[in-house]
Amino acid sequence: MRTVLASTLLVLPLWSAFAAAPPENVRAYLTGHCTKCHSGEKPKGKLDLESLAADFSVDADRRRWQIVAERVKAGTMPPKTQPRPAAGDVQMLTDWIGSQAAAAETARRAAHGRTVLRRLNRVEYENTVRDLLGIEVDLKEALPADTAADGFDNAGLALHTSSFLLEKYLDAAETALNLAIVNGPQPPLVKKRFSFKDERAVKVATEKVFLARDDDLVMFSSSPWNSITTGQFYPQNRGIYRIRVSASGHQSAGQPVSFQIDAGPMLMGTKNHLVGYFEAAADQPTIVEFTDHFEARNTLRVLPYGLATAQAVNKIGAEKYEGPGLAVQWVEYEGPLYDQWPPASHRRIFGDLQQAKVPIQSDRNHLEVVSSDPASDAKVILRRFARRAFRRTVTDDDIAPFVALFEQKLAAQYTFEQAVRVALKGVLVSPEFLFFRERPGRLDDFALASRLSYFLWSTMPDDELLSLAGEGKLEQPGVLREQVERMLKSPQSRALTENFLSQWLGLRDIDFTVPDHLMYPEYDDLLKTSMVEETQRFFEEILKEDLSLTNFVASDFTFANERLARHYGIPGVKGHALVKVALPPELHRGGVMTMGSVLKVTANGTTTSPIVRGAWVLERIMGTPPPPPPGGVPAIEPDIRGATTIREQLAKHRQIESCANCHKLIDPPGFALESFDVIGGWRDFYRTRGGGKAVVVDGKRMYYGRGKDIDPADELQGGRRFQNIDEFKQLLLEDKDQLARALATKLLTYATGRAPEAADKAEVDAVVAKIRDKNYGLRSLVHEIVQSSIFQSK
Amino acid sequence: MKLSRRSFLRAGGVSLALPLFDAVLDRQSRGALNADPPRRLVCICAPLGLHGPNLFPQQAGRDYESTPYLDLLKDFRDDLTVISGLAHPGVDSGHDSIFSFLTAAQHPERRAGFKNSISLDQLAAEKIGTQTRFPSLTLSAEGFSLSWTRSGALVPSDVWPASVFARLFLEGKPEEVQKQIRRLQDGRSILDQVGDQARRMQAGLGAGDRDKLDEYFSSVRELEQRLAANEEWSHKPKPKVEAQQPQNAMNAADLVGKTKLLFDLTHLAFQTDSTRLITIMLLGTSLVPPIPGVSDGHHNLSHHGQDPGKLEQLRKVELEKMRLLAELLGKLKQSQEAGGSLLDRTSVFFSSNLGNASSHSCTNLPVILAGGGFKHGQHLAVDASTPLSNLYVSLLQRLGLEIGEFGTSTGTLTGLEVAG
Repeated sequence: MRTVLASTLLVLPLWSAFAAAPPENVRAYLTGHCTKCHSGEKPKGKLDLESLAADFSVDADRRRWQIVAERVKAGTMPPKTQPRPAAGDVQMLTDWIGSQAAAAETARRAAHGRTVLRRLNRVEYENTVRDLLGIEVDLKEALPADTAADGFDNAGLALHTSSFLLEKYLDAAETALNLAIVNGPQPPLVKKRFSFKDERAVKVATEKVFLARDDDLVMFSSSPWNSITTGQFYPQNRGIYRIRVSASGHQSAGQPVSFQIDAGPMLMGTKNHLVGYFEAAADQPTIVEFTDHFEARNTLRVLPYGLATAQAVNKIGAEKYEGPGLAVQWVEYEGPLYDQWPPASHRRIFGDLQQAKVPIQSDRNHLEVVSSDPASDAKVILRRFARRAFRRTVTDDDIAPFVALFEQKLAAQYTFEQAVRVALKGVLVSPEFLFFRERPGRLDDFALASRLSYFLWSTMPDDELLSLAGEGKLEQPGVLREQVERMLKSPQSRALTENFLSQWLGLRDIDFTVPDHLMYPEYDDLLKTSMVEETQRFFEEILKEDLSLTNFVASDFTFANERLARHYGIPGVKGHALVKVALPPELHRGGVMTMGSVLKVTANGTTTSPIVRGAWVLERIMGTPPPPPPGGVPAIEPDIRGATTIREQLAKHRQIESCANCHKLIDPPGFALESFDVIGGWRDFYRTRGGGKAVVVDGKRMYYGRGKDIDPADELQGGRRFQNIDEFKQLLLEDKDQLARALATKLLTYATGRAPEAADKAEVDAVVAKIRDKNYGLRSLVHEIVQSSIFQSK
Repeated sequence: MKLSRRSFLRAGGVSLALPLFDAVLDRQSRGALNADPPRRLVCICAPLGLHGPNLFPQQAGRDYESTPYLDLLKDFRDDLTVISGLAHPGVDSGHDSIFSFLTAAQHPERRAGFKNSISLDQLAAEKIGTQTRFPSLTLSAEGFSLSWTRSGALVPSDVWPASVFARLFLEGKPEEVQKQIRRLQDGRSILDQVGDQARRMQAGLGAGDRDKLDEYFSSVRELEQRLAANEEWSHKPKPKVEAQQPQNAMNAADLVGKTKLLFDLTHLAFQTDSTRLITIMLLGTSLVPPIPGVSDGHHNLSHHGQDPGKLEQLRKVELEKMRLLAELLGKLKQSQEAGGSLLDRTSVFFSSNLGNASSHSCTNLPVILAGGGFKHGQHLAVDASTPLSNLYVSLLQRLGLEIGEFGTSTGTLTGLEVAG
């Protein structure tokens, strides 16, 4: 009996056993073209189409059907060796899959909405606490890293909560409240000017790299250990400080001398930040002024850029050295600067309630907010705070838990302020604060205000947005348009660059590897910083001027400073500030794919991989992500000894049919980008270690040799050949709608916390259609996204 | 019918409070209840791999010929097993494999749709974590941790050994202790209220949203328990140790310094029974570690491209890791506890999420298992399809957990036996 049954199963397609069987014509297609390989005991690619139920409400099954549609549509299935299905049949199959997926999705959404309850990620958390309380504070480093989905770390599904996270939120809330609320008098304003000649670093220097003169100190070396960390600016109180530095170029032949300023704790291993690169004019004191936030005991560090090494200067001695130097006349600081005391953060919570002395063990002059009517004052405070924290109007019921907390602590002999602090802390860990309150269907005005604000600003809605939401006006298309304009013009829209752009293009990985200094001696920190800034400025320009998003593929301009221009070969750019520059076509630049930043994050510090770069282009620019690699296939072992190129290694890969199907999609963009090395420099040949002809740059023999020549030519689907990156870009520009669809999908994913799905295809296409007439302008795209029903619904 | 205390409490709806009774027992009374000596586990990950040819012996079995890396562990040849061939099925090439190193969740490299599962240390902590002051320690030399919760959230890591040392061994001033107790009490009051609020929020939510709020609920409940346990512990004196509070290694590139501090802390924490579960993420940065003869960034060296110069530098870096591991094993072996060495009660699992960092492959992971009371002294070469989770089941069972599966396991690890 058993054997009979088994053989019956082999003959009869399993579909008949399921209620959810595909319709007759689909079954006929599958039997005709697919099931010969994709069925039975060991189906190819582990895809058994005979047992795959047509139940599109099951996520995993739906996904498999969609992959079938993608492959068939792309023409990679059936394989070339098999008879081609008729175009009409292909259309029939992909239409059926598309409509089934859309129907299942529509049904799910009616009940639950498209997105999943999303909590603030750690960047949004920090920004929100900053704006809610009005303080500068670094909280995100203390929170565990968020997991990402669909390429962004604000995806509801991927953001999880744990007891560990809650504990960190309790700590973070305490830290933030301690900074927002003050318990003492205003710290004294200190203003002081000092000379580098008195710095310890200068006095104890064992190398002769500093020259002390009457009016200044000259720094000759750019070696990092010859930087000067200011011991004379070492503030005891945190806050905003105004810094001024007077410096000039010394023996610099009329040329300006550059220097870098960093700020931070300046201890090994701590996080400092770059204030900027500056230029001091030759022989003319230039005054550099900036304000920055400093924690207590933070300090400044100054290092000349592009001067000689310590060794070179020391050999001659600073007294006799004739090369260029940076002469620093003085440094001045003033702070901490406050507009008022108690500061705005304190008043925002307590309003005009007075402070009184409440001595404690460690501080006899300890001040605390006091109240003559604690119960009613606490309610006012909590209602005001909760409204902004919850980003909507609040009722008595909403604040009841926090009023209860206050009362409980007051009853336990806490002082008024201490009891209020506990209640405020409660607000900051409550689910109404941490999660986005969205209901299935169309978003209410408050939810819309939050979605808009976290999209463009990565923080809570401001008073204007909340007021408009309160009046029920925000949903009006005209009002929404005005608000988007207002928000994009605000400096806070920098968050879109920092969080959307950097994740879309992967720029956060810029420090993942540091290129080998022997293979890439021309790489330095200024170049890296400039690369990232180039991409950011480029994005902001396109957004600001509503330029076509096709510029991301090919453009005749970019932003560059002197350092980056040298890297790219652009003539005539001076100074550290990035300026908009025209790109001569022979440089092969323009668009993001050929920017140093992107080329660096898509390479490791030693080698480039056409697979990695190809997949990057498919996923992020073309909007046709490759399927995940099959399991168990050994990755290619990179080899820089010069005997073989990655292209030759990959050729073997592409001889295997099952690999070729995907690799003929993935590899071509990667080959086109092989003309650029791991730091985004143009190359005609590979650099090798061990062997190869000698390479001489500026009269200096390099540590690497000349390897095999680069071959960037290949062809795209449909036999469209390209010889180099320029031709490749032109091929991409043939389908501008697809480029727009790709970027619209990315923006919608980021804006709503979930990637659009099959059911959203029509809406995404509608967005694309609307900007087609506007020359595919990026700002127009942002507007259309905000106006779309995808954005305005849960 | 006679109700046990446990079932009575369950019926009363407060079963969650039960582990706390265990938690407040002092060590002596626990010793009486629990005749078996404590079993411990430390999981260490070198995120840039170990160069296989320098680690794996040619021969399987007990008579293997040593290798450059194993040479440094020669004193512990009979205390360790080197295992080749293991991998996590469904965890494909890439640095993202780090997400699944201790969880075995499939396809972290695809990102989209990936949800992590609980790591083996956290699973064990649910069962044995309440017996110690710290259910587990999640240490890291660079920030990212190896441990994940049941909800798929990353457990934050401790990167500063000095503050971990303070939490473990230093008594605060009385007013600081009071302040801390008050903070814990405030925390519990707050959780009480926000838990209620979340319950009200749940009305009218779809299934996906409810899952998210459920995560919040269980987080609130777990944290309430932990804060209560912390409060109980805060009334008890901390163990005294002779060691001084360490200075943090402030150089971000200092692989050796950072590793040593974390290993020393591991030894002290186990010796004082402050915790029985530790995970350690070692350094794997792009920076140049201050090791003589090394001039290239660590991450770059792992992408050696077969360049002999780079391979030589990589060998220097990895030999340091082996030397430090030998030091840890030595300390654990020297420490005696109730008639045995600490090493015999501590499974030291040293491995990487990458099998070959140069190509980012995740097969044939480098695995060294020491101590824990297993039969050691061999090179266990397993079939290439053997899940690493099988070893995890063996490790969990060694901790006394009655479980038969974990992650993608198909059983325990064949060939690895408990010492008689």
